[in-house]
Amino acid sequence: MSPEPLLEATGIGKAFGAFRAVDDAGLAVREGEIVGLIGPNGAGKSTFFNCLAGDAQPTAGRIVFAGKDVTRAPADAHARAGIARSFQVPVTFEDMTVLENVMVGAFLRQSHRNDARARAREMLEATGLTRLADTRAGSLGTPGRKRLEIARALATEPRLLLLDEALAGLTPTEVQEAIGLVRSIHARGITLIIVEHIMEVILSLAERAVVFNQGRVIAEGPPRAVVDDPAVIEAYLGRSMRRRTAPP
Amino acid sequence: MSRRFTALVVVAVLLAAPLLLGNAFLQRVAALVMLAAISASAWNLIGGYAGQVSIGHAVFFGAGAYSALLVYKLTDWPPIAGAPVGVAVSLLLACVIGLPTFRLRGHYFSMATIAVAELIRIVVSNWQFVGAAVGLMGPAVPRSLADLSFLSPLPYFYLFAAVLAVLLFLTWQMQRSRMGFYLGAIRAGERAALSLGVPVLRYKLLALLLSAGFTALAGSLYAVMVGFVDAESALGILISVQMVIIAALGGAGTLFGPLLGAAILIPLQETTNALFGGGGTGLTYIVYGAIILLIARFRPGGLLELLHWRRRRVA
Repeated sequence: MSPEPLLEATGIGKAFGAFRAVDDAGLAVREGEIVGLIGPNGAGKSTFFNCLAGDAQPTAGRIVFAGKDVTRAPADAHARAGIARSFQVPVTFEDMTVLENVMVGAFLRQSHRNDARARAREMLEATGLTRLADTRAGSLGTPGRKRLEIARALATEPRLLLLDEALAGLTPTEVQEAIGLVRSIHARGITLIIVEHIMEVILSLAERAVVFNQGRVIAEGPPRAVVDDPAVIEAYLGRSMRRRTAPP
Repeated sequence: MSRRFTALVVVAVLLAAPLLLGNAFLQRVAALVMLAAISASAWNLIGGYAGQVSIGHAVFFGAGAYSALLVYKLTDWPPIAGAPVGVAVSLLLACVIGLPTFRLRGHYFSMATIAVAELIRIVVSNWQFVGAAVGLMGPAVPRSLADLSFLSPLPYFYLFAAVLAVLLFLTWQMQRSRMGFYLGAIRAGERAALSLGVPVLRYKLLALLLSAGFTALAGSLYAVMVGFVDAESALGILISVQMVIIAALGGAGTLFGPLLGAAILIPLQETTNALFGGGGTGLTYIVYGAIILLIARFRPGGLLELLHWRRRRVA
């Protein structure tokens, strides 16, 4: 067993009025892992994810990252602590060039302009965006924007990268390229948590999958085992489907 | 290199032009262009670069103008000695407006700036200590050079041009630094900026403080030149709107946009004022309205964007 987990979230709850989007959800991630968060629409995985990123404040529970309590810390403090993220709907800085977008991320650890630019160029190289460095971000298509968000997040030199449906809306070829990109990020020693709808992605990337349904964690384990779990099948397909597919 | 050369030539011509004009009216207009360029460039720091549109910058301008003449009235010092006081008051006001509203997203900041500016205008126009409806006067005759009271508009032109140069140099440095990138990120999307570790509140406040300080300095310079200040001429909403329009006309968030906007709007305004006299103020509103419409409809990025766009097209 490795010592302390890099990220440990316990008893996380997030209520909007009477509605509990996330209820008593927990997750521990060791350094160097790739963990997949899956679940049907509205299962609370994005809300849980936003709590981890500091974009939303949990109404219950505790989040500890690298030994520091970051439960109530704002998003910028999470970034400084070493947690970076991408957004479900990419939010690039449209009027800036691709290089300038990544420089904003690089300025977190580099205070001088030339160092930030050098760091940003490295990240463009790593994500295959060098060719587009001087293009206006607003003129990129969806795959380009998603790649740019990842490059920008990497430029903050994170220990943990949270990817929120970074591969959704891509063509099968683009998905394969993106899987390659995620693998190369992992090879840099960065721990990853990915929220994904495409099961193929989780199966080929994640070492461990955590399944959400109605705000709770209903299953956890190796992806192959998890997708065969009756509770998971029921959550995705409904009860009658399970009866139909269940062995006699 | 050739671009730098062009810029140098433009600056040289602009600086020499008033000397060659030899016409006091035109020289006065040139000085007013510089003054308006200072306040619009100061507004540009928060309204353009950081994208937080203030429609109440008259409150900072007024703080500078009133401080200059109030210090003169109370101590008999030269009015310009009041400039640091005006800057200090402005920084305080900036914190009062910025700290609560910058925590919220959306238009709360814009609304708060209008509210504070109008509130202070009404208080000042009823407050005997600061001259109430009558206003404050500067020294009737210059007692020394420090009074900065000249018959010719030329010394004012060069004084304002020097202050503008300092402000634009600082802005240029800022634009290239971490702060420039961070303000651009805040303008484009606060949520994404936060996710990259940008301390959004701190940078918005920093931009507002810089902006407020230089706007107050512009107000003090105005009071020194005109030698008179009242609530309407220093705190009126037209002062605030003028800064927004000048910056937007030339190009908000660009280094030279406000200067270009001032060079177009101020001569236009002074000419209509000269032609139509007192009735010209009504015309000012019409001109402002027309410009807002034209910018919103045809060129949200201002005139400088048009220039860049052309250049890119040709290249």
